[in-house]
Amino acid sequence: MVCTDACVFPYPRGDTSLRRLCLEARNLGLDSIVCIDAGERAQIHDVLVRRGVLIEAGSMQEVVARVKKEQRTADLLLVRAGDGAFNRAALSYRGVHILRGLDSAPKRAFDQVSAKNAADKGVAIDIDLFPLIHRRGASRQKALRCYRDVLRLHRKFSFPLTISSGARSLLDLRSVREITRLCAVFGMEPHEVEDALFTVDALLEPAGPVEVI
Amino acid sequence: MKPRPPTLREKRRYILARIVPHYRRIEARQMYIAAFEALTSLWGDARASELQMAVISCEPGHCIVRCRRNAEVFVETALSTITEAEGERVALHPLATSGTIHALRKHIRPIPEGHPVDGIAIGGREYAGILFQRQKVDLYAKGIKNQETLYFTCDEMEVD
Repeated sequence: MVCTDACVFPYPRGDTSLRRLCLEARNLGLDSIVCIDAGERAQIHDVLVRRGVLIEAGSMQEVVARVKKEQRTADLLLVRAGDGAFNRAALSYRGVHILRGLDSAPKRAFDQVSAKNAADKGVAIDIDLFPLIHRRGASRQKALRCYRDVLRLHRKFSFPLTISSGARSLLDLRSVREITRLCAVFGMEPHEVEDALFTVDALLEPAGPVEVI
Repeated sequence: MKPRPPTLREKRRYILARIVPHYRRIEARQMYIAAFEALTSLWGDARASELQMAVISCEPGHCIVRCRRNAEVFVETALSTITEAEGERVALHPLATSGTIHALRKHIRPIPEGHPVDGIAIGGREYAGILFQRQKVDLYAKGIKNQETLYFTCDEMEVD
């Protein structure tokens, strides 16, 4: 099992190079990272780097076009969450792996219908730790409320969860121990955190039908 | 006033946290201000007052924080949310918790020394920096304005 940070932004999006992020990730106990717009899948300093593409689109047509364009080269396709209708459509579209950014989506952007869609299609919902670490006050409270709601739906519908730091700098990366502590703030149990850290592997190698050999 | 006998004293726990980047020199008082802000904003004033957090020492690369026994989880979580101290960007990674400072000191690793490097060009800009072990290089843009910091390794730079 591989412990993965599901979304980091190396230089030039952030201030830290990919190799340096890998060094720090290794120190913090991570086995793999999903780099947005990284070159290719690689193993750097014993950390597996997976290429992710973050699709930030206003409409579903744009998402479909980007998914078709990127799905051959990218390991993981992440879509930034929008309103309720957009999220339902994105979660139903085959090829999307992760929906992220629910903390900044409008109210009721993720409901029981979206949760059911995510569970049926095996699309993961990302829990981004960046707002918990960097925001203060009402903004952080909104993120915590949103993650509590996602967790409640996850326990009911069993859709996959991923955890990401959204790191743009090595200072934003967090260790597995810290991730467990931070997720406990909104009520996530340690075994749920562990499962969420291993989800990326499962997304890339989904369980197929049983074959008789 | 006579000090309380040990059996009547409140039990304490000590948390060792790694400071990133390790060369940032932050006074214990400034670290306390940053930690207390993180603690109150995350858990609120009422809970923060119960935790009795204090910064015992803050040396380059690590700091030791004291709190009440059974409060270490709350303090560790709050330490993870520190992003700035003394106006500088930092991160704190809690490493270990113990009942004595002596036990924590065993976890402290020596701080690697850096060597200054100059004449590094990235994206058409000139940088100076410090080279550390394992080919880590922390770069500072030259000039007065926009002194951004970049974290790279030797493999990714063009050194003159």
